[in-house]
Amino acid sequence: MKNHYILRTLFFLSVFIAISSCGSDDSQDYKQISPVNIDLSTVPYPKLSDYKFFEGEMKDLKPAYKVLPYDLNSSLFTDYAHKKRFVWMPEGAKATYTADNKILEFPTGAVLIKNFYYDNVLPNNTTRIIETRLMIKKADGWIFADYIWNDEQTEAFYSLSGGFTQISWTEGNVTKSANYRIPPESECFTCHKHSTTALPIGPKPQNLNKDYNYANGSANQLTRWVQEGYLTNNVPALITTTADWTDTTKPLELRVRSYLDINCAHCHSDGAHCDYRPMRFAFSETTIPANLGICVAPQEIINTSLPYIVNKRNAVKSVMRFRMNTINETQRMPILGRTVIHTEAVALIDAWINAMDAPCP
Amino acid sequence: MKQLFTLALFSLACISAGAQTNCDNAPVVTPGIHNVSFAQGSQAPLLMCFNALPGATALGAWYKYIPDNDYSVTLTTNVGGYPLSDTRLNVYSGSCNNFTCVAGDDDSGGSATSLVHFDVVQGTTYYFAFDNIYSSDDFVFNLTEQEFVPSLFTQRAISLQGTKWCIADMNGDYLDDIVAVEGNSVNLLTQNTNGNGFTPVSYQFPAAQNSPTWSISAGDYDKNGYNDLLFGSSGGASIILASSNNTGFSNVLDSPESIFSQRSNFVDINNDGNLDAFVCHDIAPNVYFQNDGNEGFTYHQGGLGDYGSGGNYGSIWIDYDNDGDIDLFIAKCRGGLNEAGIDELHRNNGDGTFTNVAAEAGLADLHQSWSAAWGDYDNDGDMDIMIGNSAGVYGDNSNLPDSLKQHKLMRNNGDGTFTNITSGSGFDTFTSSNLVHVAHDFDNDGYTDVFCGANTIMHNNGDMTFSPIVITAGSGPIGDLNNDGFLDIQNDNYIYLNSPNGNNWIKINLHGVASNRNGIGARIELYGTGQGWEKQIRDVKSGDGFYYMSTLNTHFGIGTLDAIDRVVIKWPSGTVDTIENPAINSALLVTEGTHVLGTKQLNATAFAVYPNPAKEVLNIKSVVSFDTTKASIYSIDGKLVKSATVQDAAIPVQHLAKGTYIIKVQDKSGKQYSATFIKG
Repeated sequence: MKNHYILRTLFFLSVFIAISSCGSDDSQDYKQISPVNIDLSTVPYPKLSDYKFFEGEMKDLKPAYKVLPYDLNSSLFTDYAHKKRFVWMPEGAKATYTADNKILEFPTGAVLIKNFYYDNVLPNNTTRIIETRLMIKKADGWIFADYIWNDEQTEAFYSLSGGFTQISWTEGNVTKSANYRIPPESECFTCHKHSTTALPIGPKPQNLNKDYNYANGSANQLTRWVQEGYLTNNVPALITTTADWTDTTKPLELRVRSYLDINCAHCHSDGAHCDYRPMRFAFSETTIPANLGICVAPQEIINTSLPYIVNKRNAVKSVMRFRMNTINETQRMPILGRTVIHTEAVALIDAWINAMDAPCP
Repeated sequence: MKQLFTLALFSLACISAGAQTNCDNAPVVTPGIHNVSFAQGSQAPLLMCFNALPGATALGAWYKYIPDNDYSVTLTTNVGGYPLSDTRLNVYSGSCNNFTCVAGDDDSGGSATSLVHFDVVQGTTYYFAFDNIYSSDDFVFNLTEQEFVPSLFTQRAISLQGTKWCIADMNGDYLDDIVAVEGNSVNLLTQNTNGNGFTPVSYQFPAAQNSPTWSISAGDYDKNGYNDLLFGSSGGASIILASSNNTGFSNVLDSPESIFSQRSNFVDINNDGNLDAFVCHDIAPNVYFQNDGNEGFTYHQGGLGDYGSGGNYGSIWIDYDNDGDIDLFIAKCRGGLNEAGIDELHRNNGDGTFTNVAAEAGLADLHQSWSAAWGDYDNDGDMDIMIGNSAGVYGDNSNLPDSLKQHKLMRNNGDGTFTNITSGSGFDTFTSSNLVHVAHDFDNDGYTDVFCGANTIMHNNGDMTFSPIVITAGSGPIGDLNNDGFLDIQNDNYIYLNSPNGNNWIKINLHGVASNRNGIGARIELYGTGQGWEKQIRDVKSGDGFYYMSTLNTHFGIGTLDAIDRVVIKWPSGTVDTIENPAINSALLVTEGTHVLGTKQLNATAFAVYPNPAKEVLNIKSVVSFDTTKASIYSIDGKLVKSATVQDAAIPVQHLAKGTYIIKVQDKSGKQYSATFIKG
């Protein structure tokens, strides 16, 4: 779906001017400087607080100056964890748009910050931040860093060893629990790569092209990134855009393709971890039915009752649905990042497959 | 056509008149076409005789069949000229309140129809029970009888809770048991002494961090006479140690770091007589637990497949260069056409180090594989390889040469190199891609076959060509589950018993002493004449294929041969046991060092000790210098009784009690030798 971006740009510009002209620290000879401290020769730091990404109590995740929150149209399912994402770039550096479906070309020194947390955590219905994952772009490429929050939620400490932490929470009056997986570096790289090069997954124009409710009002994220000086001003007016898969006003197939892109395409694309299987789940490739596995026989036979990856009008006999609906480690998909079943997504896939036009021949 | 069909249905309705709503009122059917409809209030069959997808069933349709002779029977719901429905079928014998599974199927008939073949016995009552889980539409089935030809494998249901990926002897009687792991329980079906059925037993083990979610292996890690288990999961690996008195499991060793485990193996990597635990790492260099000989370990990463982002899937330990030590082959797989996908062959240098020689061996291919089946397929005395192809030709793989987009059969040239002989072998035309490939002689004809998953045994024709034989079982653990000398297959809740075909066999059970208890890493040679081969070889291993653990007992088929010249066991310790004319069609238990030839029979350069029996001093006779190296002396039950320094090629033994001992000595290059002696 092509979404208009230029009108929002104009709208945002006017809002931005209005706000900035009456800002309290808009002194002629005062230039605000980001407190964020990134020395590429010494990162990753031992503690999350060393970066100074947040102001006030760190657990409030209130971004410091030039730490910009962002969101994606659809996001990876990680055992129902909630996420807050931020981006920071050195002064004067900006990312470059290359294509709607390609990761923005980030400048050296850029940092992507992703906090994983749960609300209504038992027994006291508190918020618990588990980890803050960073990707930092050095001159020779992206590195990973992960910071594990302490029980007091006052600090997070560097570790790329991975582990598990037990968590129970309530969501919509339902109590859920998971043995939450904190990934070791090798697992980060398994998803975040093209062949042998580490890469982010989310910040593509197709995923960023949406409104975000900033502290000073709602604005299109790409527009705001341009205004912030974080993105080159060559973003096309029309962007082929993914949808929020939970938005039931959107067409079913668009929601499915959006979900599969962010949850599956990092392995099932050319150059990715599992490109030797036939599926191609990137949003830009799923306009072709065979890339979705529709009426395509699987290479790994799990059960002879599952003849196709997507068995039209027969979700329960589809490999895709079967793999999404199991926690068996050798059968579940995605293979990393999930230990419980994403039942809402299974329902989405069921609805999509069972409403297809005719059975596979 | 339509009119004809209506008529047909009408006439069938007359034939099939009568209740079919439950087992008790099932109408009797004879060969022919029968109409099926699901009546409200009918009884749904609950016992599934195949690995059915989960899901609730509401209605059923039941039929009874009593054959007037022994037949091989086919039942299909795919009948030309009739509408096809998504059917599901179970076939039982027994009585309505006590069914025995005979067969079952969902979709094998094509277009979601069902198809079963099974053998029937004259006068026995069989029940056909359909359910409506996928469709409540009417359909027909066709029952046909053919001349009785015994099925290659007969299906039996088992009742055992947990992940059922392992066949190994767990109670020390060398009969294969079925092992399941469920939470902190090991649930066993231990094989009865006459090979007739199983006895269930269940043990708890202390909390372990990992379950066998990716692979399982068995072996006697702590050398106490009972096999231990190695679990590989995506978070790490755990060793579950069995107690020394067959009362369950007393201790657990967890990996100290995350491992994305794939194939795991028990193997004595440093050849110190204690099994180590090796784990393939999917996304990092491989790791192993180095056994400290005291129920503990040192954790190692490095030296056995060090590619940074892994790609390690199917490890298998064999002696590819016939130098008496165990080497490691790793079937590798990785998207993005990068080096993580290049297979590796790690040659054991005999001094505790390994060197990847895949390139010079001709095996360093970027071939997407999860397992390789090693066997001496041409019985010429060295191990050949079938390397399974896991993937198609998508994306970057399209750029691979054609030879890397299919299964590979590699003949061992006997000089450390291999030649690709896939073309014309049958593996070039067997295109089903799979994860699990294992080498066994399923029909005991003396030539090792390859079980490829996809319900297909690639039968070795004896001339390095292979022909597909479709069987009812899929990939799973393999062992002799009824002690008849023919290898059986287990798939989750079913065992598939291999029907004896008259061929002769022998199985070799090992009791290591100076070597590891299971004799893992031993080379077993079997000599015979008259079948077109002079020698067959096996390497004893724990963990082949991909997920599963198959029997630690070593099976040889010998075709119509009615006598074996001799069996030679070349133990990892260096001990060589030779058994002349062992009995056929039975198990041969060999304890390390009990069939050693006298010194006169050894050639001059080999390692020997004298005098024998010895009273004061044991002298070493060898071309190798053993000065200032360590010697270890073991009692015949495997206990280390003395460590000594070799001085002037002699070791004092005056303090040893009378009895039989095994001495193991390492030369300056790290190579190990052993011999049996008697203390007089």
